[in-house]
Order: sequence, then C-alpha cells, then structure tokens
Amino acid sequence: MDLLPPIATIFLGLIMGYLGQRARMCFIGGVRDYCLVKDTYLLKGLFSFIVCALAGFIIFQFVSPAIKTFPWFLDGGAVFAKKWAAMGVTAVPSLILPVPGDPITWSPKVGAHIILAILGGFGLGFFSCMAGGCPFRQHVMAAEGSKSAIVYLVGFVLGAILFHRFVAPFIKAVLA
Amino acid sequence: MRMTPAIAGGIFGLLGAAGQAFFHVIPPPAYGICIACHMRDLVNWIAAHIYPIYGLKAGGALIIPGGPVSYNFPLLTIVGILIGAVIAARVNKEFKWKVMRVWWQRPWAEFFLGMLVMISALTFGGCPIRTALKAAYLDITAFIGLIMIAVGVFAGCQVLRKLT
Repeated sequence: MDLLPPIATIFLGLIMGYLGQRARMCFIGGVRDYCLVKDTYLLKGLFSFIVCALAGFIIFQFVSPAIKTFPWFLDGGAVFAKKWAAMGVTAVPSLILPVPGDPITWSPKVGAHIILAILGGFGLGFFSCMAGGCPFRQHVMAAEGSKSAIVYLVGFVLGAILFHRFVAPFIKAVLA
Repeated sequence: MRMTPAIAGGIFGLLGAAGQAFFHVIPPPAYGICIACHMRDLVNWIAAHIYPIYGLKAGGALIIPGGPVSYNFPLLTIVGILIGAVIAARVNKEFKWKVMRVWWQRPWAEFFLGMLVMISALTFGGCPIRTALKAAYLDITAFIGLIMIAVGVFAGCQVLRKLT
C-alpha cells in the first residue's frame, strides 16, 4: 500500500488551509468581485495560480526526472496509460483529452466531455456564486466558525453520494 | 508579511504541481489539489467500507468510485485544510460562531447549494481549483470550463443584484 499520497496531501492541506485563511483566498470570489465592483484583488490569485502551476509543471519535471508527466502530447499520456492499465481501469488519455475528470465518467467522446464541461462549469459558477465562495473558501469559513459553511459541507458530502448513486450511471449511459 | 491572494495563489499552484511531480498524486493527471474530488474520494472510501454494496465489486476487489490514487487509502487534503484553517483562525483570534445574514446563505439554503455545487463539480470533474490546475496542464475542456464558470458567476451576479 502506497501511503505517500495521503501523508503528502495532509501536509499540502495544512499549508493551504493556513495560507487560505490568512489571504481570504477564493477562486469564485475573484470573478464575482470583478463582475460586481470591478475589483481585481482576488482575481490576481486565480491568474497567479494558473501561471505558477504551469511553471511548476514545467520546472518540476526537470527536478524529478522519475515521473515525467507534463507535456502530455510527448510522453505524459503514456505514463498515465501505463499506470491505468496496471490498476485495471479503462481510461486512456488521448491527444485531445489528456485529463479525464475521473475514470467513472470517462469516455473517448470529446464532444460529450465538452457538453459536460459546459453544463458542470455553468452550474459550478452559478451555485458557488450564490453560496458566497468557492468550495475551498467554504471549508476555510467552516473552520472560522460560520454555521452556514458547516451546513454547506454536510450538503457537499451528501452531494458526492447522490452523484455516484444517481447521476453517474445516467452520465455513463449517455456517454457509452 | 501580509499574505495577499496573489502570493497565496502562486504557492497553491506550485504545491499542486509538486503534488503530481514529487508525491505521486497520480493518476488521474493534474490531481494535486482538488476540493471536490478529494472530498469525494474520502467520502466514497468511508461509505464503501461501511456499506460494501456502495463500491463496485470487480473480481473480488472493492472498486471505490473516484480517483484511482485513492483505491487503497483516500487522500486527506480536506482534513489538512480544516485543521490548518482552524489553527490559523485560532492563532490570529478570528474564530467566531456566526451565521450569514442574507436568506440564500442561511444554513438551510446552503445545504442545497452545497449539494448542487458538488453535483455540478463532479459532472465537470473538478472544483474551480482543479479546473485552474487542468488549464495549467493545457487541457481544452478545462479552458471551456473556466469560461463557463465565469459565465455562471456572471449569471449569479445578475441574480444577486436582483435579490439585494
């Protein structure tokens, strides 16, 4: 059993939680503030995240040559295809679709994934805007003692179970 | 030093890339940081171990719905975030029990909003953080997702303007 990912992610989470609380980081809030009052204070966080993640993907693969995953159009796809085959999962990254959301809702149909992205992205933006922050912000607010955010987390957990019980089979039937 | 979102976002981006490069948080690709997916992995792992019928039996092995990296043991980002944020709030004396004022952010409404956010996030395959991480991994669907999130927030802002 490989325990490195869980132990590493708990420390990643600790750093993220601390910094997120100090900075009031919110990914939806940036777009929302820009829409409502033309304020770019939080939006800078989103852009700096994308730029630094891209830089990190490029730099870290030279630092750690064991796992070369970044340019998926060169060799990253093959790394994942091998990993997936070893785990017995039938999802293979292709040139057009390098990043499946997860193997449960994966299919090689690109058009279906674009429709899923349109539906899911719109719902994600709309409902997060109404709820007052992205899921990460809600976790931080729950830790700050907001009862609304704690109830939000209960709904969040139930949503995961409902999705895999009722929505995922439907999506799979549509994609197949 | 005062922590601004620009600096925090940069550090998060580097952490997300480092999770994939150094800490084996693969497959799926670009999985280093995600709130919805890691929460889903944790919940499904616990649910499948309490009620084995929830997981799919395939050849005697319990297949947990979710990212393959969490088949054996789930990722614990959520636990870390909650502990870290509680520490930050306690250390800086910002912890206070409170309830939002407006009716669509009262607890009963937030329950349904949380459910809907989770379902749409899993339909797309990631929360806003992972959408940004996927976009940095140069995925076409993530760019469409980012644009649609902006459109959704814009629609939400119109509704918020009507409500307030």
